[in-house]
Amino acid sequence: MRALLHRHEFYLAALTLALSAGIALANPAFCSVANLFDLCQGSTVMGLFALGVLIVLVSGGIDVSFAAIGAFSMYVTSKVLLGLDFQGSAAVALVLGGAIGTLLGLFNAFFIGFLRLPTLIVTLGSASLFRGFLLAFIGTAIVNTLPAGMVRFSKLTLWEMRLADGTIAGLPASFLLLVVAALLVGCVLQGTMLGRGIYALGGNPVAAARAGFNLRGRQLFIYGGTGLLSGLAGVVHACMMRNANPFDLVGMELNVLAAVVLGGAGITGGRGTVLGTLLGVGLIVTINNSLILLDVPSYWQKVVVGAVILVSTGITARTGWARARGAGLC
Amino acid sequence: MRRTAILIVPMLAAALLLSCRKSGPNVAAGPRPYTIATIVKLDGIAWFERMREGVQRFGRETGHKCFLLGPAQADAALQVQIIEDVIAQGVDAICVVPFSVEALEPVLRKARSQGIVVVSHEASNQVNTDAIIEPFDNLAYGAHLMDHLAHHMGASGQYAVFVGSLTSKSHNEWIDGAIARQKGKYPQMELVTERIEEYDNQNTAYEKTKELIRAYPELKGIQGSASTTAAGAGLAVEEKGLQEKLAVVGSGLVSQCRQYLVSGSTKLISFWDPADAGYVMNKIAVMLLEGKRPSDGLDLGVPGYTQLRQDTEKPNLFYGSAWVDVTRQNMDAYNF
Repeated sequence: MRALLHRHEFYLAALTLALSAGIALANPAFCSVANLFDLCQGSTVMGLFALGVLIVLVSGGIDVSFAAIGAFSMYVTSKVLLGLDFQGSAAVALVLGGAIGTLLGLFNAFFIGFLRLPTLIVTLGSASLFRGFLLAFIGTAIVNTLPAGMVRFSKLTLWEMRLADGTIAGLPASFLLLVVAALLVGCVLQGTMLGRGIYALGGNPVAAARAGFNLRGRQLFIYGGTGLLSGLAGVVHACMMRNANPFDLVGMELNVLAAVVLGGAGITGGRGTVLGTLLGVGLIVTINNSLILLDVPSYWQKVVVGAVILVSTGITARTGWARARGAGLC
Repeated sequence: MRRTAILIVPMLAAALLLSCRKSGPNVAAGPRPYTIATIVKLDGIAWFERMREGVQRFGRETGHKCFLLGPAQADAALQVQIIEDVIAQGVDAICVVPFSVEALEPVLRKARSQGIVVVSHEASNQVNTDAIIEPFDNLAYGAHLMDHLAHHMGASGQYAVFVGSLTSKSHNEWIDGAIARQKGKYPQMELVTERIEEYDNQNTAYEKTKELIRAYPELKGIQGSASTTAAGAGLAVEEKGLQEKLAVVGSGLVSQCRQYLVSGSTKLISFWDPADAGYVMNKIAVMLLEGKRPSDGLDLGVPGYTQLRQDTEKPNLFYGSAWVDVTRQNMDAYNF
């Protein structure tokens, strides 16, 4: 019980529950399966990005290029499949998007791992580079008709029902992707030498190197993996929106970083968990998606979102100090 | 040495080609071919690609040198820079679609002080300009969308309205016009909440629409302003299977909204043809360069601009009636 009280995730979950209870009191429409599904769907893309950012933050780095990688992968994937007149399954789109994302991530890894440049500088530069390359050489026109497989995937649900008021509520299949990705990232970070090495790298790179961890290999894994997740997120986003807009996704960086930090990942590295990250994403998505339910006027929505982020990251920081020693390992 | 030659030969060839194009035959209508730059908010997007077609068509038909430029990012400072560049090039006229009207005033003043004619579009409050040409009266446009929404809602029930942003002037004037029309003509209809912002982002429009459906289960209509609402709200309505119950109308392009017009979630989209707008801007610029003033009732020979209406308070402001309504029935006539 005491251990539970010391865990950041506990406070975050409690905060989310309290907020949800408040919203539900104000508007009972919040407590519905349809709403729950909508929140799950709203969390999918952000969650995939956040998992990638988590890995980077744990390793003591920071990544601001993930949105550009997502946009690049989604647009190139859509263009290529349309060019080939591909009619098959969306799995191919996901694999292709993931592969493009991984390559772009490895591009980051090269500069970070081999040339030892600071992560913020590298990813700021590469974000601009990827985006500029995309718009200048690949195209700016929005793809409004996606390959058939991707449209089918967007309509695919794990579970669907027709509610009393005639609306359809469905849990999209892409949510499963987030669940699988979260499990995988969790297992790697917690249960493998590779993952423990990432925590060590974030905690103290010199000590990690002396302890015999291969840091370069880990940098490749970290940024390649983040690229993979970003590429997947981009393709999922395109499927959900049923278009591929090369101008999309940019501007998500801050919200995703806020969600991950909210989830307890230390901006200085060495700390962070998958569960916390998912809770952070859930909290931000819940706030963002409940302001109309609460009838909050447009300008106030920004005030509310900002205030909640400030308060909850404040709590995060406080509890972080309380358990700074050996923190984040579980 | 050989390597240099290899480089120089194609460069010379290219230069020759370019100079040929410059001195090529002109079918100038006026005393001399004018150089007219059309500067838009953002280059590359479908909307301004379409406008480029109109600008180039005008150039071909009249022999004037007409081209379209815009920044790669929607950014007022970049647009100012491009205008500085074309002033330095010594163009005769600048047609401009400002990203931010206020930010462009100084550079446009500079252009006019050098004798360059300035024509603006989507900028009814621009001060440093010779003529402003608007596709239509914003209030009337919003009211006409409301008429369509009311038609699909049976003139009763709850509806909600979207704008790109609360600071976007034209969007808010459209909605002003729509709400005024609803209050005057459709008293049985009820606006459920204040204007919702979607930041010209289809994803946001989609999420907010789903939330609206949850918060107001009786909602029967949505009127959008940004071109992204008609598609984003259409997707949400389609996913919820509410095509029969909840109607979406708004500004939009066929390429963006085709699948939702087909599924019946978006009932009607409306737009003005950017190609025509580009064409008439250039035409007015040439008129002004030739010393002719546009006047009330002017016919520019382009559909929607056959009888310009002069603003009563601002004599250099002109309105067309150039909106085009598109439903499932006539959408195949538009390829953009």
